[in-house]
Amino acid sequence: MIGLDRRSRDILDEVRDLGRRYMRPIGLESDRSGLPPPAEHPFYLICARRGGLVSREVGEDEDRTDTGDSDDDPARLAWKPLRALLIGEESAYWDRGVALSLPGPGLGGAALRTTGTAEQRDRFLSVFTDHSRAHWGAMAMTEPGAGSDVARIQTRAWRDGDEWVLEGSKMFCSNGARADWVVVWATVDPALGRDGHRAFVVERGTPGFEVLRIEHKMGSRGYETASFALDGVRVPEANLLGGEELYRSREGFKGAMTTFNLTRPIHAAHGVGMGRAAHDFAIQFVRDDYPPQGRRKERALERLAAVRRGLHTARLICMHAVWLASQGRPNALEASYAKLYTPPMVLMAVSTALDILGEAGVRNDRMVEKLYRDVKILDIGEGTQQVQRIVVARRLFGLPRDA
Amino acid sequence: MSFALAPEIEDLAAAAGRLAARSLAPGARRAEAEGRWPPEVVEVIHSLALGALDLPAVLGGVAAGALAKVEVLEALAAGDAGGLPALDQPGPAVGAVLACPDTAAAGEVAAACLAGVASCALVVADPGFSSRIEWAPGWPVLRWAWVIAGDDLALVEVAPAGPAPALAFHASGSTAASLGGAPVLGRWRLPDGAGVSVRGRARLWAAAVSLGVGRAALEATIAYTTERVVFAKPVAHHQGNAFDLAVAATGLHGAGLLLRDAAARVDGGDRDGGFWATQAWLETIDAVSRVTDLGIQLLGGHGFLVDHLAEKRFREARMLGLLWGGRDAADADVAAGSMSVEGPLFAETAQP
Repeated sequence: MIGLDRRSRDILDEVRDLGRRYMRPIGLESDRSGLPPPAEHPFYLICARRGGLVSREVGEDEDRTDTGDSDDDPARLAWKPLRALLIGEESAYWDRGVALSLPGPGLGGAALRTTGTAEQRDRFLSVFTDHSRAHWGAMAMTEPGAGSDVARIQTRAWRDGDEWVLEGSKMFCSNGARADWVVVWATVDPALGRDGHRAFVVERGTPGFEVLRIEHKMGSRGYETASFALDGVRVPEANLLGGEELYRSREGFKGAMTTFNLTRPIHAAHGVGMGRAAHDFAIQFVRDDYPPQGRRKERALERLAAVRRGLHTARLICMHAVWLASQGRPNALEASYAKLYTPPMVLMAVSTALDILGEAGVRNDRMVEKLYRDVKILDIGEGTQQVQRIVVARRLFGLPRDA
Repeated sequence: MSFALAPEIEDLAAAAGRLAARSLAPGARRAEAEGRWPPEVVEVIHSLALGALDLPAVLGGVAAGALAKVEVLEALAAGDAGGLPALDQPGPAVGAVLACPDTAAAGEVAAACLAGVASCALVVADPGFSSRIEWAPGWPVLRWAWVIAGDDLALVEVAPAGPAPALAFHASGSTAASLGGAPVLGRWRLPDGAGVSVRGRARLWAAAVSLGVGRAALEATIAYTTERVVFAKPVAHHQGNAFDLAVAATGLHGAGLLLRDAAARVDGGDRDGGFWATQAWLETIDAVSRVTDLGIQLLGGHGFLVDHLAEKRFREARMLGLLWGGRDAADADVAAGSMSVEGPLFAETAQP
């Protein structure tokens, strides 16, 4: 059932080459220094000159106009999200932190593509056609007091003439400090919950938009995680994502949230890549360091076979969720399956690899220790496994919101 | 890449699903008590060419493939799995029939099985273990055993030794048999790695049946627990229970995808099809054991009573994890493949 077309194989070859030459060494360096690579890092320029990796393959440039892909072969179109998933998985195999730091519109781009008006897509995504330097987009949803429960966001938005004013603070914004623009979620009235939400594109340099700090993390240090304040930030009406019309109907806004049904399995697929890396290190260790025969080796191979089974299952679940989306079919349940199954499985995979390395596993110069620190965030970002359980329960048997 | 099934497989599985809902599920307890499915059900299932689905035309089959077989088995098992070991012949032993270099012998076994006049069993043997068949369906009469040890295959003529009451699958009847002194009709050294393909086909069969049992268990559990109220709300709406059900459903979903993937690999001639079939079996057995256990647990005392099918599914799930060498043999097979099997997940990457 899983077969890749030639183009996808070529792309994976390219990612693998970049991963081996740049992403893993840069990721290791970031891990040691505790700092993400600077925005001026030559690797980002290499990526930009290639037209970005994900951006190019999912056709973000093409999607800038209304005509978009309308003339395209549907079979070719169906590959786009699958390629985003494959690139994500393969990049994360080499270093997930650096993978997340790759130039491109990121999650903000996903929001723009699903929700933005044609004018907004043209205006904000066109920057990525400039291949002379690296560009980033970002999205800011999480706040210090609102993580999994996004209905609780407190950043306020109010209209003042033909402008909107934003006031509040955001955290856990990937690439937020280097982004050309950030899609910021705010509320016109916290009492309205999700019905009060609005999304705005805030451009870098807008007065009042102040990066407070780049967070220091246990792992996944290859990308910057920014916290920032919005202190009376003024954005034109034209920056309200989707325009006023979108928010008049609840369905329209819910449609915007389908963004996450596509990004969630891709996020989970990063874990498959990281689990594969841990698996490959462990297999190599067994080859090189274990006694050639005996119960210890047999047991290690049994455990690695279980890792491989889990990773392959996770990969199928992720791909299936994305495949449904590529067919225009609902995938909310399946996207949550992907995010619920994969991160704990991958943590088990990396932990098993550590077991197999034994004391050698604690050493910082053997990648598995780093992977163990890197991987935990997967179970938190884009909805914790607890949130996914709630989503699955709601979808499967109508778990009430107040349960 | 597609996760869609071919329309003809969809149609076949839908037909099996209708049969399961209309005829198998309502009569499951009666069939269990009587030790067989009623003749009218047997007749309809024969019309689906169940045993012939994954056999080639040269052996009297219809060559629909392993994926078609898996889908049909899963659909039928969701209604009642009890009679499937008896009625699907050569069923789990199809890998041995296909691998047997003596096509005349394989043809004879296949013809008798498809005609419903005799059955064959698969025995996964280890050197040093006594060779006997602990359990096989009681009907049609057991006549042959395929014995696979590593990559060595033997065909043995056996005589049933009488009923062997078992944990589950009572609608298939039961028999035991001894292989000691039984006439050996042929011995063959299969190509390297072919043994795991033979065992893998049996595991594919068991995983498909198990998945059907698991899906039925999940559906029934959700139906019950969303209706029954405890501590002022439905059982399923207590967060601890809701989370357990969500995790169980996720595991079942993943096992289903892995099973389909393995079956498609077998149909595609993947030389590691047996490895992936074994992986699918291991994943499915775990997922379905969790679901069927929860199926009893969330029903509380009711789950322990034969008034509900939860206890039957619990037994069936467990028994499917014990056949053909069980978990230890399967773990050994996948461990043996750990360093050699390549696949789309791992073949294209290597550490620098």
